[in-house]
Amino acid sequence: MGARAMLLAGTEGRDLTRLEEYRAIGGYAQVPKARAMSSDDLIAELQAATLRGRGGAGFPMGRKASLIDRGSPRPKYLVVNADESEPGAFKDRQVMAEVPHRLIEGCLIAAHAIEAKDVFVYIRGEYLAEYEILQRAVDEARAAGLLGDVDVTVYRGAGAYVCGEETALLDSLEGRRGQPRPRPPFPPVQGLYDAPTQVNNVCTIATVPAVLELGAAEFAKIGAESSPGTAIFSISGNVVRPGNYELELGTPMRELIYDWAGGIPDGRELKAVIPGGSSVPALTPDQIDVPLDYDSLGALGTFFGAASLIVVDDRCCMVQLALRSTKFYMHESCGKCTPCREGTRWMVQLLERIEAGTAARSDLDLLRSVGDRILGKVLCALGEFAVYPVRSYLDHWEDEFVAHLERGGCPFAGESSLEGIVAPSDAHARHAAAEVPA
Amino acid sequence: MRGGRVSAPELVTLTVDEVEVTVPKGTGLVEAALAAGIEIPVFCYEPRLGPPVGACRMCLCEVAPGPPKPQAACTLAAADGMVVKTARTSAMAAEAQNATLEFILVNHPLDCPVCDKGGECPLQDLTFRYGPGNTRMVFPKRTFEKPIPISPTIALDRERCILCYRCTRFSESVAEDGQLVAVNRGALTTIATFEDEPYRAPFSGNVIELCPVGALTSTQYRFEARPWEIQNVPTVCGLCPVGCNVSATTREGRVKRILSRNHPEVDGGWLCDKGRFAFGHLRARDRIEDPLRRAGRRRFEALSWADALDELERLLRAGGSSTVTALSGSETVEQAYALGKLLRQGLGAHTAVLPEEVPDALDAFRAPLSAIRDAPAVVVLCDEPVAERAPIVDLWIKAARRRGARILTEIPEEPLEGAVLVSDDAARCAWFARDLGAAAAFYLPRTPNGRGVADAWSAAADGEPGDEEPRLLVVSRELAAADPSVRALARRAEAVVGIGMFEDTFRGLCDLVLPGTSYLERDGTTVNLEGRLQRQRRAVIAPCPDELAWIARLAERFGVELSPHASVVFEEVSARCYGGIGFGDVGERTPLPARAESRAPVAAPASAPLPDGEGLRLVTYRPLFSGAAVERTPELQFMRPDGEVELAPDDARARGIRTGDPVTVSSNGTSRELRARVARDLAPGLVRIPRDDAAGLHDVVEVSGRA
Amino acid sequence: MTGGDVARFAEEVRALAARFPDARSATIPALRLAQERHGWLPPEAFREVADALGLTPAYCHAVASFYDMFHLAPVGRHLVEVCTNLSCALSGAQRVVDAFEAELGVRPGETTEDGEITFRTVECLGGCGYATVVAIDNRYRQHVKAEDVPQIVEAVRGR
Repeated sequence: MGARAMLLAGTEGRDLTRLEEYRAIGGYAQVPKARAMSSDDLIAELQAATLRGRGGAGFPMGRKASLIDRGSPRPKYLVVNADESEPGAFKDRQVMAEVPHRLIEGCLIAAHAIEAKDVFVYIRGEYLAEYEILQRAVDEARAAGLLGDVDVTVYRGAGAYVCGEETALLDSLEGRRGQPRPRPPFPPVQGLYDAPTQVNNVCTIATVPAVLELGAAEFAKIGAESSPGTAIFSISGNVVRPGNYELELGTPMRELIYDWAGGIPDGRELKAVIPGGSSVPALTPDQIDVPLDYDSLGALGTFFGAASLIVVDDRCCMVQLALRSTKFYMHESCGKCTPCREGTRWMVQLLERIEAGTAARSDLDLLRSVGDRILGKVLCALGEFAVYPVRSYLDHWEDEFVAHLERGGCPFAGESSLEGIVAPSDAHARHAAAEVPA
Repeated sequence: MRGGRVSAPELVTLTVDEVEVTVPKGTGLVEAALAAGIEIPVFCYEPRLGPPVGACRMCLCEVAPGPPKPQAACTLAAADGMVVKTARTSAMAAEAQNATLEFILVNHPLDCPVCDKGGECPLQDLTFRYGPGNTRMVFPKRTFEKPIPISPTIALDRERCILCYRCTRFSESVAEDGQLVAVNRGALTTIATFEDEPYRAPFSGNVIELCPVGALTSTQYRFEARPWEIQNVPTVCGLCPVGCNVSATTREGRVKRILSRNHPEVDGGWLCDKGRFAFGHLRARDRIEDPLRRAGRRRFEALSWADALDELERLLRAGGSSTVTALSGSETVEQAYALGKLLRQGLGAHTAVLPEEVPDALDAFRAPLSAIRDAPAVVVLCDEPVAERAPIVDLWIKAARRRGARILTEIPEEPLEGAVLVSDDAARCAWFARDLGAAAAFYLPRTPNGRGVADAWSAAADGEPGDEEPRLLVVSRELAAADPSVRALARRAEAVVGIGMFEDTFRGLCDLVLPGTSYLERDGTTVNLEGRLQRQRRAVIAPCPDELAWIARLAERFGVELSPHASVVFEEVSARCYGGIGFGDVGERTPLPARAESRAPVAAPASAPLPDGEGLRLVTYRPLFSGAAVERTPELQFMRPDGEVELAPDDARARGIRTGDPVTVSSNGTSRELRARVARDLAPGLVRIPRDDAAGLHDVVEVSGRA
Repeated sequence: MTGGDVARFAEEVRALAARFPDARSATIPALRLAQERHGWLPPEAFREVADALGLTPAYCHAVASFYDMFHLAPVGRHLVEVCTNLSCALSGAQRVVDAFEAELGVRPGETTEDGEITFRTVECLGGCGYATVVAIDNRYRQHVKAEDVPQIVEAVRGR
């Protein structure tokens, strides 16, 4: 276990955004190999590799491909989810910026597996530089004849976190408000333009060339048994060397935090780790010896998520952390389903009152109850993403919440690292009447 | 209608709250539960709006097999062996539904005491049955400026809105007008029109009925009544040949609103804004309540009923068999028959100007209007916009297109299996129905009951029309009085008698006018464009005696036996042309008569040649939002056409004209200044202008842009 | 835009639309194009996009208002956006925001009096490891500290 370059292999000292450099290290060699295989064989190979989705849910990519209704008379589509917007996550961005051709190569292989002729890469609108790099790489690959009869379209989003949810992404790609669709029907049956569609994260697809190069059997030996391969871990917050680290799955969290990222700066104490992006339950310092893989984190009641760790030191007020996090999910709630739209706003109102020290003890129960009434009742997971972390803060740091009530204000007395955090200014302030009263 | 294919649907058996129920595979869980007599509560779910969206979360149930959390029942289809538990038997479902209602109510203003929806509000009802009895929300609720008029007929209260998206889905996926939308995101989402412009579309009012709370309300009905003070009278709209089924809401003898009343074969539960809002004409300023006699060139004076009947008798005796009757097609079958019997059998006056000629041959292509939706192809041979003549037909055609049907606006080269034909030209309709081997054909008549009136007039016959120069002209109702050919006839007649509702229409035209009733004030039957007999019911008492009453009294003086009761008159007509069915059998949801096996010969229609060179052929039409009723409804004035000329895209491009451009339309020295609209449904070589805006223009016109 | 500009815009939008199986997919790219031309999305921009794609202005407005990157009100010539989400906030984003407020004399969501710079605080930009992230006209500046702000503002004003 430890560092191993697979997704980011070859970037050391080379500019792999250039086609000839990428080809010089064996790039695109897996495409003809894949195309020489039948779709069934290729899918079998991907299934044997147990390449689990790196976007958050961890669903095996090969299994997803096997669900595509290839008998459908409609075209099949491959859609790459490059809408990376989870607070704490910035791994897809590096892949697109540094190894765009590896992503394209993965697209061509995956497209062959599901017999798709059209690939759409949905990249979040804010990633302008990465869009330009990726678009240039696609043009280069096309000019070099590498795409064959497959077309790759890079589609820019326009600023909406919810579009990272795959069905909301599809609605956005169809030119609509990006709101999640009810499932069933699932995308492999009825996805983009109602046709069978496979949606995968950037890192998942960019790992596919390595699966073919090594062979499924070899690939499966890397990393954790139930979660083979490597992952790029984004680590940020209160660590000495924040950034992306590509490590084998199963690497202990402590190793990432203390060895790779250099531990907690300024002699502070570790207080919490949110291991999968801001949407997952936080862990306490005594839990960080967990191996970084889907099942081990799941056993602790949290999620591998987007392999993105936010490290929080002891200067941070957990009520402020909860408030800032919930404001984000309220801002990003699409407004389609009732519990998320109304519940996230209610949670913000409650947390503001707790932070102000004017809440009653019963408000903590109410906050828990509102969360419970969101969990399991929403159309997509966004509403639950608001609840999971807050509930974990309440569970692990309840005394801090209570201290706000007893003290009549924040016990950090203006010294919290999040003091004065601001919510995003309303992008559409033109509708002044719609402002949320705090 | 698709080729008469018959296959037994595959059945599945599931359990809902311990009740076993068997339904066709694919049935939604909401319907499957209903089949078991169990309610699954919903807000956003409405199958007529397209696929379910699963937004409101009201329908959460415990469903096995499935994940161990509540499922949105509205998005699931019944499957064999499925076990569904609603709030009645599942604590999980009860908790989920209670949670949904709590979340909906945290920002709902609870101004129920002053809300028009109160008492007939799904949110009240479902909160009563499934919701929390108290509130835990102590923070300020979202506030908005309210109510906002989104059009002169509809008010929007954004605070009450629960964002179920029914209205916006209707606008996008049923009416396809794309004008009512959701803007912003999350808790800031609101329903809006573009730049607060009025929602100006022919079906806008349906969103009021779709709204499950009091967010979208009718400006006409605002603060007018409480639900326990009203009566809803089931009747049929009398304003166009579709005959949408409606309920007229009345309070203290006045019509307060019109609601749709879903007839799945006729209207699918939709209603156009004319049918919904134009009832204001009942109380128009110039409504005729007493008989009127000419008292100057453009002036009337009232006279007593006794004098009026004497005067009418005198005019009829003077007219004798040289009396000509102009019928409008807006009479009931019974009214037309009574008039026909009096004039034909009492005077031998057999000559009539009838509103429509509907070829019998079309009876062999009879089908319910819903057959359009189910057709694989629809051929629309119409110069006039379908929505202007028979609005609901336009929705059926749109529904067909959404289901994947081909919509053709020209005659296809080869017959199309299962195609349905829609045409505004009776002769072309009859010819091409046979020529194409159409599965069904619909002629769109110009008048609401033209067929029924023609049936009734011929049923009253005891002789053949001669070639009479009119000595007396009887003009029945506004549509006839507005007809230029009728007005020409009036100039040749020695005397003119009118029957109608509005003084202004008959001023200067008639020597004697008898008051007429509205379709909301009478009992009787009409025949819609499908050939379906439908029943109109008296919702309110007219401000004048019923036509049948005074026609019967007059008939007595001519020795003609005539009942003043619609039921008796109908049975007389029915014996002659409707197979003897009884008045009571023309129920609330009348079935369509069986197809006739007509072998009647059909003449090939003359085709109007397109002009050579620069000219374009002018098509004029009577817009839906025009006519006596609309003119007398202040809230509908914004819907009246606004000096527009429609051009086909190619013709517009060739002239450098875009939608909204000011243009000059001219022919032989006459010209009109209008605004252009590029219409994708218009055939090249045609231009279309509402009749009133086309006065003085000839058949061939030139259109040019103005800089 | 003049009539000719509108026609050229419509051509461009239709060319965009031709790249998708369904022209509706071009809505977001077309709105972006319109925003580049107008600086923001005034009502006529929605009419232009709607005309070119056969949609309604209301629909185009509905779509635009869903996404944070579309401006439904006028903005300055330049856009300065500071991430204030968790990782940046844990690393001192608030001090960067304060510095911009002081330097520009406006609050988040406002535009400087000279109409040059619109200042916004935004959600996570995906640069959590390089806090604080500031996007200047959609180009990222990373590792921004409060003391960098005067120089950044000067550079933006100089453009």
